[in-house]
Amino acid sequence: MYNLCYRFTGQPHAAEDLTQEVFLRVYRTLGSYKAIHGGFTTWMTSVTRNLLIDHYRRTKKDRVTSSLDEEATMAKLEEKASSTRRPDQIAVAKELSMQVQRALGKLSPDLREAVILRDLQGLDYREIQDVLRVPDGTVKSRINRGRIELARLLEQMGVRRE
Amino acid sequence: MNWKCEQIEERLSEHLDGLLEAAERAAFESHVAGCAQCRTLVTQVSAALAQVHRLEMVEEPPRLVHAILDQTLGPRAPKKSWLGWFGWLQPVLQPRMAMGFATVVLFGVVTLQAMGVQVGQIGWSDLHPAKLYRESTRRAHLIYARGEKFVNDLRVVYEIQSRLRPVQEEQQPQQPAPKANPQDKPNRESNRLDDPECGLCVVTTGMVGVPGRSAR
Repeated sequence: MYNLCYRFTGQPHAAEDLTQEVFLRVYRTLGSYKAIHGGFTTWMTSVTRNLLIDHYRRTKKDRVTSSLDEEATMAKLEEKASSTRRPDQIAVAKELSMQVQRALGKLSPDLREAVILRDLQGLDYREIQDVLRVPDGTVKSRINRGRIELARLLEQMGVRRE
Repeated sequence: MNWKCEQIEERLSEHLDGLLEAAERAAFESHVAGCAQCRTLVTQVSAALAQVHRLEMVEEPPRLVHAILDQTLGPRAPKKSWLGWFGWLQPVLQPRMAMGFATVVLFGVVTLQAMGVQVGQIGWSDLHPAKLYRESTRRAHLIYARGEKFVNDLRVVYEIQSRLRPVQEEQQPQQPAPKANPQDKPNRESNRLDDPECGLCVVTTGMVGVPGRSAR
């Protein structure tokens, strides 16, 4: 859940607060979960997604570029995630991760959540349909447009292909 | 079936996720093979996807778990009983702590005994550093002296035996060695005592291995 919140918001501190909020909401509304409505993970992802959209709408007007402190925290998170490699590989991987994260942040929320749910969280089309509560055609369309847009952003940023 | 560029762009993700039917896949690949623009698009999106898939899971900060537990289950209430006064003893009363403590005590006892302190009748004066140093030095010298004496005794025995061996060979005529009966078990003990080569057992019994003299 933290990974989902971080990849969507691009802000480690906001991701931390949102993750707490997710678990608090799940804890309070656990009685309303019914297995016939889908898997528990799907339900929890749906709660997370709703909170992320609410957070996005709430902070839309106040959105500014991330502060130096948040950039430093992001760099540490990306470095820790790739800690199993050689130092030169870690530096390259860290820079690439940060560029991909920046490109994800530039996508519109609906495209961003579709790409994150499909390519980072590994949900299939059916599960994404349940989380987003949109038709199958809309899911495919958003994933497709999100990927194409992401590819164009990375090309503009000069991210080299491997 | 001939696809157009718009269809290629529209169905690109499905192709990358392997969701196209066989006929659709063939039409897709056929168009891409002949269209440079679509080929570039497919390459770019595939590369972008590879970059995204290469992103690793970020770990949550450790404090996050504690914060979630505090907010959901609430902070732990302190135990209100007389046992709470002895809560500080809890880390000490672990089995590994007891094992460690016992090992330290045993080591101390062995070390003090090596230094000449009678552990059963230990007093404060026995633990005086000067006394401990004096006693341990005395014991070390004693052990060294015993070892030196043992080595010198061995040397003396070997010297005597080496000088007596020619005399022994002159006195005893050359006799064929008796056939050894395989059923006879070798009497190790008596042979060892008569054996002039066995300097160790001679020294330990205190007798010089004079040829022809039995230990009994």
